[in-house]
Amino acid sequence: MTTTVQPSTDALISSTQRTIGILAKRSIRNIRRLPSAFFPALAMPIFNMIVFAGTFFAVTKIPGFPTDRSINWYMPLGIMMGAAFGGVGLGFTAIRDIETGFYDRLRMTPTSRLSLVLGPLTGTLVRIVMMTTIVIVLGVALGARFTGGVLGVLCLYIAALGLATIGAGWGLGLAFRFQDMRGAAVMQLSIFLVMFLSSAQVPLNVMTGWLHTVARVNPATNILRLARVGLVDVGNPDHLSWNAVWGGLVAIGVMAGLTLTFAVRSLHRLND
Amino acid sequence: MRCIGKTERVNNAPIVAEQLVRHFGEVKAVDGINLTVNQGEIFGFLGPNGAGKSTAVRMLTTLLRPTSGTARVAGFDVVKQADDVRRNIGVALQDAAIDPLMTGFELLELQAVLYGIPANKMKQRADDLLERVGLTAAADRRVGTYSGGMRRRLDLALSLIHQPVVLFLDEPTTGLDPMSRLTLWEEVRRLNREGTTVMLTTQYLEEADQLADRIAIIDHGRIVREGKPADLKRTVGDPTLLINVSRAQTDSAKTVLARFGELRPTAEGTLGVGLKGGAERVAEVVRALDEAKIVVEHLELSQPSLDDVFAEATGHRLEGAENAPQAG
Repeated sequence: MTTTVQPSTDALISSTQRTIGILAKRSIRNIRRLPSAFFPALAMPIFNMIVFAGTFFAVTKIPGFPTDRSINWYMPLGIMMGAAFGGVGLGFTAIRDIETGFYDRLRMTPTSRLSLVLGPLTGTLVRIVMMTTIVIVLGVALGARFTGGVLGVLCLYIAALGLATIGAGWGLGLAFRFQDMRGAAVMQLSIFLVMFLSSAQVPLNVMTGWLHTVARVNPATNILRLARVGLVDVGNPDHLSWNAVWGGLVAIGVMAGLTLTFAVRSLHRLND
Repeated sequence: MRCIGKTERVNNAPIVAEQLVRHFGEVKAVDGINLTVNQGEIFGFLGPNGAGKSTAVRMLTTLLRPTSGTARVAGFDVVKQADDVRRNIGVALQDAAIDPLMTGFELLELQAVLYGIPANKMKQRADDLLERVGLTAAADRRVGTYSGGMRRRLDLALSLIHQPVVLFLDEPTTGLDPMSRLTLWEEVRRLNREGTTVMLTTQYLEEADQLADRIAIIDHGRIVREGKPADLKRTVGDPTLLINVSRAQTDSAKTVLARFGELRPTAEGTLGVGLKGGAERVAEVVRALDEAKIVVEHLELSQPSLDDVFAEATGHRLEGAENAPQAG
């Protein structure tokens, strides 16, 4: 006997939400159960912020540098580095799950493949919010000032979550393609290259030669600009205007779309 | 068979494979298998490591796309109707793929959500399954603290959360102690009595013999024998007389044994012959060996086993079969 079941749209949405919720819950629960995996991801952005701001404080003396506080420049960089690596970290988790066979268990269920990507991604984004909040609080305590107010803080969160989403899509896609730790090396290298071939260390207007050209077309530059918009460039009439943020939002939209598509397509290819 | 699906299903047999092939580069892991598992059967897939059992199961459970050929499980095509197949099967894979950081209950909860079981039924279903596999007391412990047997039982419970009509068990007792094996066997029999069709892969002869209504012997990606264990054993015919002699006398012992029947593949250091006439001729063989001045260190008459069937079909013994832990 066959029972044909045609669930309603509401039921499908509810089922998808539950799937995303429980997979996110698994990821968040592991902060407590596997702190050794979370705390380095929190320590790295704090370390980057303090070390870069302290070591390169003289960078603010460069003519045209958009802030007189080095921590205003390097706090967003620390957060963005943390967000990027936190995102690709999801790829590391996926590799572990593939190698232990746990991912097979997920793939053998009839739940949508998109949910299998969005669930863990949601958990990662919660971690990124926690990391961003902690680094901001610490950064402000160390002298960072949000001249752009609440809107500036919001832009930093959007940039961090956007970059984490891009990193997660990229990391998951690579994990599903390589299915072992070979993927991890590619994840790390690619994030380093994308971040350091951008305006991570200095603004575009003080860069020259090929580095300037690469950084100008690198989407990470626009996302970093969005992240810093509430902390730098106070004298600029475009400060916190639509002009200053649209490039970052478009970069996030396009890159997140591309990397998440890469992740879902790669997940389907696991069957090959 | 009560199958749940969103698309139309064909064929009533729970598992049907036709010319199923899977290549990994140049390696033919599964090389054109045809298979039908009937409703309510326990079907055993017997073969050594690397024979293609797990690859075949991965194709039948939608984890791996076949290179060619077709397969239908619960009436649905494993490639074109993969989600419908997934709704109707339960799978416990070889390595009990369980997140050690989660508790038994959390894993059941996760599995229930992934199968779309309503929240109001989830708790009761999880509790019932935990009780069924004897893990109620350990439900809130992290799985990392479970023994191998407990993990297997939890794996079985996870595969049953959505009440599947077809259950795949990939080497379910590998690495388990004899008591845990017996417990798992009993649970598989109970599930089968309740109407679940079971396909299990194993490299243990005893497991296939004890559990399976029918078996297929797979070697180098091909099914070399298929049928009821008793029927297959009958095809081998005569019992096997096994003897051990010193290495120096091996060739002359072979010559003597060949007079009493066909020599059969055996474990290294042992000689075997299919003894025509059975037990009544053992004394005659002993006299002939004695006359040839061959010192017999050990002699044993073995009734036909699935190992003999395997040896007869493939020309070699099932590697590791002798080392299977004894149970029952």
